[in-house]
Amino acid sequence: MVKQFAEWLSTTSPSVFIQNHNGWVIPTIQSIHIIGIAAVFGSVFMIYLRILGWAGMDQTLRQTTSRFGPWLTGGLWLMLATGLLMVLGEPVRELVTFSFWLKMFLVAVSTVIATFFLVAVGRHDQQWEEKLVKRRSIQGLAILTFLIWLCIIILGRLIAYDHIWGPWSPATKA
Amino acid sequence: MLIDIEALFRGDALLKALEASALATRIRDSVFLFPMIESTHVIGLALVVGTIAIIDLRLLGIASTHRSFQRMASDILRWTWGAFALTALTGSLMFITNASVYYHNFYFRTKMLLLALTGINMLFFELTAGRTIHQWDQAPSAPRTGKAVAALSLAMWIGIICVGRLIGFTTSRSAVAPPPPAGVSFDDFLQGTPPDSGGNQPTPSPHK
Repeated sequence: MVKQFAEWLSTTSPSVFIQNHNGWVIPTIQSIHIIGIAAVFGSVFMIYLRILGWAGMDQTLRQTTSRFGPWLTGGLWLMLATGLLMVLGEPVRELVTFSFWLKMFLVAVSTVIATFFLVAVGRHDQQWEEKLVKRRSIQGLAILTFLIWLCIIILGRLIAYDHIWGPWSPATKA
Repeated sequence: MLIDIEALFRGDALLKALEASALATRIRDSVFLFPMIESTHVIGLALVVGTIAIIDLRLLGIASTHRSFQRMASDILRWTWGAFALTALTGSLMFITNASVYYHNFYFRTKMLLLALTGINMLFFELTAGRTIHQWDQAPSAPRTGKAVAALSLAMWIGIICVGRLIGFTTSRSAVAPPPPAGVSFDDFLQGTPPDSGGNQPTPSPHK
């Protein structure tokens, strides 16, 4: 079903436009997508370093999240926009893969966790500053979610190499 | 003689030796090593560009304007260097798998040139605004030279990302006949393989 949808999508006019100009449109969109990765991953990295006490200790947790939170959110919107264009430009290459769907699942999980975290720090900053940020469980959760972001980046690159999943990859069945 | 000295000077013997090395062969023969190395390269470059952008935006007076520049730089730049080491290592590993093709690729050469320029840009900063940090450490932005360096740095790193992505579109790990050896001279530095020459391009294959 996904394959049929992808094939139909590739016949729509915006998709055909991108395909006809793929020499520069697709590399450009991908490059902007990578700039988005730098904004999102750079921001979450600085927030993790602050939670773990490895950098930014001259700033409060609240100062850190208000400095990097907007870049995280803005970067995610940029990646959603460029990601949609990439899907539109090459529907079959993107959608008919195992890597893409696992990535989307992890993106959803990470985005929900990040949103909850940013809202929670905004509402109860005293509590976070004094107690929660020092808690082992919170620091462990930070490391876990950091690993999820790493997996998202790896899976994004693996869309181009989906055959490595063997029988799990729908691309190999085509 | 076992080693053809002249060929070594031209560079192509060295490139061939790199490609034939056990490590390069090991990476080429593996289904998942190259993709994993490439992914690690993306992780590293996201941290390099992300952390450099934080510093550049501070110099420009756009973000973190209330923090001491000195404090930020010592806090963040060690992570930048660690991430840079990771990208250099993974970049070198990708390079040796197909050294002669990358070496003659226009975008690869442009990327190396831009990387060298960011280094010079950084040195220039150290010799100018970097010497008077104590005067503007708490100011919302750096003096004019510092701002110029930061703007250039951001522009060049964005450029590096773009040409880096284009390397993947213009090289292929499938057998590509390398173009005739170009002598190593500055004259033909950027004329290695013109991007649209077509002649030595692999037949269109799905990009990576």
